[in-house]
Amino acid sequence: MLLEVRDLVIEYRATRGRVRAVDRISFDVPAGAVVGVVGESGCGKTTAVRAITRVMPASAVFAGGSITLDGTDLVSLSEREMKKRLWRDIAYVPQSAMNALDPVWRVGHQIEEVLVDRGGMGRRAARARAEELFAMVGLEGKRLHDYPHQFSGGMRQRASIALALALEPQLVIADEPVTALDVVIQRQVLDTFNELQKRLNLSVILVTHDISVVAYVCDYVVVMYAGKVVEAGPVADVLAEPSHPYTMGLYNAFPELAGDERDLSPIEGSPPDLLHPPEGCRFRQRCPFATGACHTEPPEIDVGAGHRALCHRAGEAPALRTEARRAETWVGVTTE
Amino acid sequence: MVYFLKRFAQMIFVLWTVATILFFMFRTMPGTPLAAFIDNTTTEEQQQALIEQFGLDKSLGEQYWLFLTNLMQGDLGQSFFFKKPVVEVVMEVFPNSVILTLSSLLVAYIFGIIAGAYLAWRRGSWVEGFGIPLVLTTRAAPEFWLGMVFLAYFSFHLGWLPSGGANSSGAEFSSEWARITSWDFLSHLALPAITLAIYLQGLPLLLMRSNMLNVLQEEFITMARMKGLSTWAIVIRHAARNALLPVATAFALGIGGAVGGNVVVETVFSWPGIGRLLVNAVAASDYPLAQGAFLMITAVLVVMNFIADITYHLLDPRVRVAARG
Amino acid sequence: MQRADEIALPGRGARVTAGLSRWVKGVTAIPRRDPFAFAGVLLYLIFILVAIFAESLVTHDPREILFDENYDLARNLPPGGDHILGTTFSGRDIYSQLVMGTRGALLVGVTAAVCVVTIGTIIGLIAGFFGGIVDTILMRLADIALGVPFLPFVIVLAAFLNPSQWNVVLGIALLLWPQSARVIRAQVMSLRERAFIEAARVTGAGPWRILFVHIAPNVLSLSFLYASIAVGWAILTEASISFLGFGPSDSVTWGYMLQDAYASQALGREQYYWFVPPGLCIIAVVVAGFFISRGYEEILFPKLKD
Repeated sequence: MLLEVRDLVIEYRATRGRVRAVDRISFDVPAGAVVGVVGESGCGKTTAVRAITRVMPASAVFAGGSITLDGTDLVSLSEREMKKRLWRDIAYVPQSAMNALDPVWRVGHQIEEVLVDRGGMGRRAARARAEELFAMVGLEGKRLHDYPHQFSGGMRQRASIALALALEPQLVIADEPVTALDVVIQRQVLDTFNELQKRLNLSVILVTHDISVVAYVCDYVVVMYAGKVVEAGPVADVLAEPSHPYTMGLYNAFPELAGDERDLSPIEGSPPDLLHPPEGCRFRQRCPFATGACHTEPPEIDVGAGHRALCHRAGEAPALRTEARRAETWVGVTTE
Repeated sequence: MVYFLKRFAQMIFVLWTVATILFFMFRTMPGTPLAAFIDNTTTEEQQQALIEQFGLDKSLGEQYWLFLTNLMQGDLGQSFFFKKPVVEVVMEVFPNSVILTLSSLLVAYIFGIIAGAYLAWRRGSWVEGFGIPLVLTTRAAPEFWLGMVFLAYFSFHLGWLPSGGANSSGAEFSSEWARITSWDFLSHLALPAITLAIYLQGLPLLLMRSNMLNVLQEEFITMARMKGLSTWAIVIRHAARNALLPVATAFALGIGGAVGGNVVVETVFSWPGIGRLLVNAVAASDYPLAQGAFLMITAVLVVMNFIADITYHLLDPRVRVAARG
Repeated sequence: MQRADEIALPGRGARVTAGLSRWVKGVTAIPRRDPFAFAGVLLYLIFILVAIFAESLVTHDPREILFDENYDLARNLPPGGDHILGTTFSGRDIYSQLVMGTRGALLVGVTAAVCVVTIGTIIGLIAGFFGGIVDTILMRLADIALGVPFLPFVIVLAAFLNPSQWNVVLGIALLLWPQSARVIRAQVMSLRERAFIEAARVTGAGPWRILFVHIAPNVLSLSFLYASIAVGWAILTEASISFLGFGPSDSVTWGYMLQDAYASQALGREQYYWFVPPGLCIIAVVVAGFFISRGYEEILFPKLKD
């Protein structure tokens, strides 16, 4: 296993108290696999994956758990040691490449900077390598001399991918890499990304709120809700047999996956306030299948090979799935 | 281009308005317009010259026209005191003011930019808690008082530096260039320039700091950290480089403002500059000279504002794109 | 989300008191949040008390020329004994001058601040509320005011008018209003579109009524912010003008003291006790204003602290 995240807890210190943005989550990334982390915005998915780089806002703190990359626990590493690993072992493709590229430097310069400063290359070798990287992601070499604002959104995202691949990292974390793009460009960028992943045998964590992206490129999926992993497993299994009501609901919200004959039915309500999370299952207020038992902490139940769900009723999943396909199941559920 | 023309027209408009206000201030004074400038030392001949110079025997409209056309031709009249054309007197001291302004601004901005970037980086530390009030204090200190304290200590007590003027009396130089590069000139320049610099550094410092704080919140700074770049590379190459542009604009504005704002420092150090010229002209009721010096100071201010605006606008597309998010 | 039934029109009294109570709350919240601002408020209180009770605090008439027991001029006496800060070149008591100077400084500072902020607020309100040609004219006026070099203008004013502290007030009022006017104008423009203004319009309130009864109280706190900065500017300017010799000759101000010291070669004699205290007083009162305005700004526009 390339990356093992175990019982990771990340808290934000706010003026009104501590917020557990990530609450004892665990997941694995096998070498050469693409793992999708999916969930609504604010569910802690970005916080969780950023924690792997240990570059976090000043108010965020590690409050428990471990992150093991290739046998080394990153959490206990010294600042210096961690810095050495950044970008060489773990690279990051940000959500909006617009703000992620420095507006006052040419794009080529920003790639060369990493190659020279972090990769120990000479200026000339770095220039050649930058051109090679641009070619890999489908950009013309002469574009290296442009400033970020001269790029289109898709080109910026490609440049960000080139930047991430510069030092041939073991793990690439991509945070909503195509969300800001329009649908056609999304597909093109994803295809490039997919092809490179296979060719270079990259291990990837792909954060997205779009379950159709997961279906398109991922091997495994981790579903997060309100700071918890509610379901995880191989993509084929999770999408074919979603075993947590939240996954079922999420699945319904994407017509592309669900098929046209089914009604589009978003989950009503909004995620709980993490400053005062509800007792027991965090999804119960929006869950059509909630029972009295859901007021207690839900157990993690294995529903298949490497497929687990955090739900009291995970055992009844096949029956619930039939229910969940009907749009009216999701109407008028929200409680207090 | 459209913006350039619009902004240019605005600049001309402001200059014209100020000149007009000055003209009418003079004409609408109680009593005869010359009353304030004629004392018992003014000779009959001078009075006659004045009346002719300002066309006081003509109608107000004609006088105004005369004033404007003379102004356009760079004719600001004769100085009573120096008995020379005002333009000549003004241009004689103008380089001194420019040198004083530029050297102090340069010191102030270099220091302010570095210190501002540093304070932003050390946000929330004791350095900040101590530094910001200190900077505010330097901005609250009257420049001339600072100059007086420096004069008393460095010039009179320690005797390190001369106490006033731009050159030792009797010093002669082969050219203007030789004069301003001479040790004599530079030693005279040191105290007034440092005094001004201490007063001026607050603005770039605070500006740089707040820009830096904004830039440090940007995603590309987070990315730079994720790349494992050194602190130096993050702060200098990425953060400071981005925070610098508005400070550069402030520099251009600063030149305009400082030439007029030098008045008190030039007076304290008897620096033969345009500010001191204005003070002396007003004190001596040398009206044409006062008017000329004032117009010159205004022109520098307005033109520098114009240049600052245009520069910023030229760089704007990139800035605008970068600022959007 | 604002529900429709929440868009009610508060009475006139309610709006004015809401605006007032907001800045009162702002001022009283200063010490807890920001010790520097608290120090600023304390300094101001001390200076105000000194200005009020100046007559009982002085040891001599600040303008009286003093003689010693041998009927010699009591000039350049070092601090100590009868003269806490010594005497000037012409035999006047420095400490008494310093105390009296407080009154002049505060008077000029506060008057100028009130004038400039009143002008700035009214112009900002009108320009922002009516927009169109009125706005254009007022903003062009602002361009002109900002194109005039400040200190030289006050000096030239002094040439036309009699030397007086009020030249400084006039100069500040004429030239420094655009800063507050621009900010208030922007604020008014955004307020104009808010629901409660719309509600007032629906109930048939006239434009002037809406402007001064419903909008003005909401920009009051902003005006106060600018006033606290303007006080410092006015005091600095007054000191500069007096130092240059264009101040009134019949009253004692800190700027006058410094001019007196400079002209009497106190620097060459290193009479620090003469020219250092007035400078420190100016710094103290101006910096106090800066601290207060900073603390107050923090309360008005709290920055997100992550």
